[in-house]
Amino acid sequence: MAGETVIKPDLQFVNRVIAAGGDTVKKCYQCDTCSVVCNPTPDSKPFPRKEMLQAQWGLKEVVQSPDIWLCHQCSDCTVYCPRGAKPGEVMGALRKMCIEEYATPPQLAKMVGDCRYLPVLIAFPVVLLLFMLKFTGMIGVGSGLSIPAGPIVYSKMFPTFWLIDAIFVPAFFFAAAVLGKGVLTFWKDLNANNPWKVRVEGNLVGNLIETLKDILLHNRFRLCETTYTRSTNHLFLVFGFIFLAIVTTWGFLNEWVLHHESPYFMFSPIKLLAMVGTAGLLYGIYNIIKERKANAEKAGFGSYFDWLLIYVVFAVGATGLLSWLFRLVHIPILAYPTYFLHLTSVFFLFFYAPYTKMAHMVYRTVAMLYARMSGRGF
Amino acid sequence: MEMEKKYGVYLCKGCGIGEAINFESLQKVIKKEGKIQFIKEHDIMCSPEARAMVLEDIKPEGEGINSLVIAACSPRVKYEELDFPNVLVERCNIRELVAWTQEPNNEHTQALAEDYLRMYCARVKKSELPEPYQSECDKTILVIGGGAAGLSAALEAANNGYDVVLVEKEAELGGYAAKLYRQTPSSFPFTTLQEPTVFKKIKEVQGHPKVRVLTKATIEKIDGEPGLLDTTVTVNGVEETFQVGAVVMAAGFRPYDATKLTKLGYGLSKDVITNVEMEELAKKGKIMRPSDGQPAENVAFIQCAGSRDPEHLPYCSDFCCQASLKQALYVRQSNPNATAMILYKDIRTPGQSELFYKEAQSDPGVMLTKAEIEGVTLAGDGKLNIAAKDTLLGENVIFEADLVVLATGLVPVTKDETVLNLGYRQGPGLPEIEEYGGFADSNFICFPYETRRTAIYAAGTVHQAMTIPMAMADGIGAALKAIQAVEHVAEGMAVHPRGWDETFPDPFMQRCTSCKRCTEECPFGAIEENEKGTPFFKINRCRRCATCMGACPERIVSFKDYSVDIIGSMLKSLDVPEIEDEDDPNVPYRVIGLICENDAMPALDAVGLHKLKLDPRVRFIPLRCMGSFNMVWVSDALSRGVDGLILLGCKYGDDYQCHFAKGSELCNYRLSKLSETLDKLGLESDRVQQYQIAHSDFDKLPQIIDDFVARIKEVGPNPFKEL
Repeated sequence: MAGETVIKPDLQFVNRVIAAGGDTVKKCYQCDTCSVVCNPTPDSKPFPRKEMLQAQWGLKEVVQSPDIWLCHQCSDCTVYCPRGAKPGEVMGALRKMCIEEYATPPQLAKMVGDCRYLPVLIAFPVVLLLFMLKFTGMIGVGSGLSIPAGPIVYSKMFPTFWLIDAIFVPAFFFAAAVLGKGVLTFWKDLNANNPWKVRVEGNLVGNLIETLKDILLHNRFRLCETTYTRSTNHLFLVFGFIFLAIVTTWGFLNEWVLHHESPYFMFSPIKLLAMVGTAGLLYGIYNIIKERKANAEKAGFGSYFDWLLIYVVFAVGATGLLSWLFRLVHIPILAYPTYFLHLTSVFFLFFYAPYTKMAHMVYRTVAMLYARMSGRGF
Repeated sequence: MEMEKKYGVYLCKGCGIGEAINFESLQKVIKKEGKIQFIKEHDIMCSPEARAMVLEDIKPEGEGINSLVIAACSPRVKYEELDFPNVLVERCNIRELVAWTQEPNNEHTQALAEDYLRMYCARVKKSELPEPYQSECDKTILVIGGGAAGLSAALEAANNGYDVVLVEKEAELGGYAAKLYRQTPSSFPFTTLQEPTVFKKIKEVQGHPKVRVLTKATIEKIDGEPGLLDTTVTVNGVEETFQVGAVVMAAGFRPYDATKLTKLGYGLSKDVITNVEMEELAKKGKIMRPSDGQPAENVAFIQCAGSRDPEHLPYCSDFCCQASLKQALYVRQSNPNATAMILYKDIRTPGQSELFYKEAQSDPGVMLTKAEIEGVTLAGDGKLNIAAKDTLLGENVIFEADLVVLATGLVPVTKDETVLNLGYRQGPGLPEIEEYGGFADSNFICFPYETRRTAIYAAGTVHQAMTIPMAMADGIGAALKAIQAVEHVAEGMAVHPRGWDETFPDPFMQRCTSCKRCTEECPFGAIEENEKGTPFFKINRCRRCATCMGACPERIVSFKDYSVDIIGSMLKSLDVPEIEDEDDPNVPYRVIGLICENDAMPALDAVGLHKLKLDPRVRFIPLRCMGSFNMVWVSDALSRGVDGLILLGCKYGDDYQCHFAKGSELCNYRLSKLSETLDKLGLESDRVQQYQIAHSDFDKLPQIIDDFVARIKEVGPNPFKEL
C-alpha cells in the first residue's frame, strides 16, 4: 500500500530510551501540552509530542530527526506535563542516543554513556600521561615522583612536546575526525530521511553564518522560560571556551612559531584573556550546576550523560584555576599534581568529545543549519 | 368509618407573615367565607409551644379538631413539626407565596392571602384522612441474573434479612465476570491484576441460607403486583411458581456480535478474535496465535469495535478500554519480548481506573495511539495488516500484527428480550427501552435503578454499560430499592417519588365508561381490565401520580386528599373582583397557577427564599403531577371569572424531567385539545398556557409569570366575568 508508513514497534529501542534517561517516556498520553508550551518549536509538526510517541513506540528513526536538536531542553514541557512524562528529559535521552548512533567506534560510545565504565575512561588518560612521564624520565619505578626544584614551571615536569603536543594534538584530530564522520553521516541521513528537504541549495555558507550567529547569541536558547537563566550561564561557558581556545592557539603559536616560552607575564594580554575565559567558564558551569539542582523537581534532574559533561567541564576549569593559583603562591607539591589532573580532565573533555554531550556542539549546529535551509520555521 | 369532621385553622405569624398581612380581616374571611369558626393564631407555629397547643386541640375528649388548615410556610419545610397524628392537615403556604414575595400590608397582598385561605378552607372540607391500602405482602426479592450485579443484589437483600430467589439462565453463577482470566484491579493502588472478584460473591451466595439459587432457569411469567408478584420459572425444563414482592433485574449483557465487524477482519483469519475470546486464550496459558499455535509477538487491540459507531452501537460500552489495557498486560506477562498495540478512539478510564491506565501504559511493551481503523487485511506471511488513518503517528499508517483483538462492546439483553415476561396489559417488557439504546434505564439523574414498572429495579449492564465494580455497586443500590418497595407496599404507602403517600386511587366505578384512557395513559401500567373490558387498579403498582385522574373524562378517579372535585372547589372558592378600569396598572385580574409539586413548587419556594417579587394576581395550586391536570378545571376557573391559567410543569420530550415520566407531556397533549375548544367558545387559547420549568429555573419564574399576566392584559378580561 503505497504512501502508507508501516509501523513496527521496537521494544528494545524503548528499553534503550528508558535506560538513557527517558525513564518517564511511557507516561505520556499524548495530550500535546508540551508542544503547546514549547517556545523553540516550529509551528508545523511541532516537537516534542511526536518524539514522545515515536520513542514510546520504539520508532528508531526518531534519533535521526533534526527536531531533537532544535530542542534546548528549556523544560517548559516538563514543568507543564500533566502526567510527569518529562518530555525535556526524554528529548535529552534521544539526543544521547543520536550521538551514540553516529559515533565511531560504537563500543566506545556505549562505554561513555554508561557510568560503570567511567573508571576505565578516566584511567586511559592517567595511564597515558604516566607512561609519557616515565618515557620522558620524569618518574621512575625506583625513583618515584620527583618534584622539580626552583620556580614552578610546568614544562619542567611536563615537557611541552611529549606530554602536551604529542598527546593532545592527536587526541584533538581523533576527536575532530570522529565528530566529522558522525556529523557528515547525520547530515546525509537528515536529507535522506526527512520530509523537510533542504531547499536553499548552494547557500551553505550564508546559512552557516546565520546559524553560527544564532548560536553565538543564543537566540533560540533565549526562548526558554523555565530555565531562561541557563542560556545566560551557557553563554558564559561558551565564551569562556572560545577565549580559552584562543589562548591555547596563541600559546601554541608562542611555543612553536615565536619561541616564546610560558609562563607569561601576569598582565600580558594572553594571561588576561586566559583569566577572563576561565572566570567565564567557571562562573557558567557553577551556575549551571546550582540551577539544575534547584530546578530538578519541576524541570528534571538530568541524566548521567548530562552530569558527566558538567563535571568534566567543571574539573577542567577548577584544576586550571588551581594550577595557576598554586603556581603563584608557590606550592610545588600541590601545583604539579594538580596540573596532572588538569591535563587528565582536558584530555577527557576533548578525546571523548564525540561520545559525550560535548558532541552537541556539532550535531545541534548541523541540525539548526538543516532546519534553516529546509525552511523549518527559522 | 366516617367521623364527623371538626375544622380548625391555625395561622402562623412568624417569619414575617405577621408583619405582611392583616390577621383581623383574614380571620373575618375564614369565618364568613371559609365557614370555619375555630381559628388560632401563633407567633411561631413550628415551636414546641404551638405544637402542644395543637395536640391539646386535637384530643377527641377536648375540642376534637380533626381537620386542620395550617397557614404558615411551604409544605416542603417544617414537615415533622407541623404533622399531627391521626388528623387531616392541609398546609396553606402564606410565607413563600405571600409574605416573602409580596409588598407587605397592601390591599393586593391582603387579597392574595385571603384567597389562599378561602381555597384551603374549601379544600379541607373535601379532603379526608388517608387510610393506607392494605394487602398481603410477600417480601421475597427476586433477582434475575447471577452475574456481578445480581449476586451483589442477592447478597445485599439476604444480608438485610430478606428471602431471595436468584434466577440464573446458565448452569453456573458469575456471568461474564466469572469467565475472565484476570480482573482489572478494583482496589488501591489499582495496579495489579486480580482473580475475578465475583468468585467470592458466588461462594457467599451459595452458602447463604436466605438465598435460593436456581440455575438453568428462565422467567416464564411475572404477574400480579408488587408484594404479590406471581412468578413462574422453568428450572431445567421443569416449571415452578412462587410469589415474590419485588424484582431486581440484573440480566446482564451479551457481547456485540463480532460477525458484523467484517471490516475489522473478524472471520478473515483465526487470528482476529474478540476480547471475550482473548480471555479464553489467556486462561490456556501463554498467548498463542489460534491459527498456528505460535507465540503471539505483536498483538493489536482495536478499541471501540462496534461501540461509539452509529452503524453498530451508538454508546460507549464502558469496560473495553480497561479490558484491553488488562489484556495487553496478559500479552506482556506471557512473553516479555512481545508488544501490545492499543489503537483507540479515546482511552476512557474514569475514576480510579486512571491509575490502572497509567500502570499499563508504563509497561515498555504497551504501545498506544489514537487511530481510525480503515480495515484489517491479511499480510502475505500469515500476519495481519491494520490500515489506519488520523493516527498520532501519521495520517495513513499500517500496523503489522500477528494477533488482532477486537474490543467488542456490550449489548444489554433487554435490547431484544423482554426478560421479565410481565403479564401486564401494557406489555411483557419495560416501556421505552429503545429510548435508552436497549438499556433498562430511566431518567437516572433523579431515579437510578427505577423502571416504569413499580418494584422492578434494573442493575448492572442491563441498566447501563459498566464495569464489574460498578455493577456490584449497582446491585446493592437496586436491592435497597427493592427492599424499600416491599416495605412500603407492606405499609400501604406509595414508593418513590411519593414515598410517604398513603392515599390510593379509589374510582367510582358505576360511572366508568370503559374508555380505557386511564389504562393507556398510566405511566406505570397499574391499570388492568377484566374480561368485560372494565378497568381495575393494581394498587401496589401505582405511584399515585394521579395521571388517571387527569385522564378520566368522567372524573371518577379520586384520592382521599386529592381529587378533581377538591381542586375544582378550591378554584370556585376564589374571590374574583370586577374589572372597573382596564388601564389601571393594578387592575385586579385573577390568574390561577397550577404547579407541579415536584419541580415548579420547589422553584416557587426558592423564589420566596430569594425574596423575589411575584405578581399578586396569581394564585398557585399545587398538583401531584401535571399528568393529573383535568380539563374540567379550566371551565371551573373560567366560568368563575378567572382571566387565565398558567400551568408550570416539568420538561417533557426525550430528555424529560417529569417525575412520573409522562405527566407533563400528557398535560400538554390535553391542552392542545383544549385550545381548539376554547377557540370555538370564543375564548383565546392564550388564557391557558403550559410552561416547562426546572427547580433551578426559579430566577426566571417571576419574569415568566409577569409576561403571562401581561399577555392576559392584552387579551383583556374574561368575558364570563360579568355573567
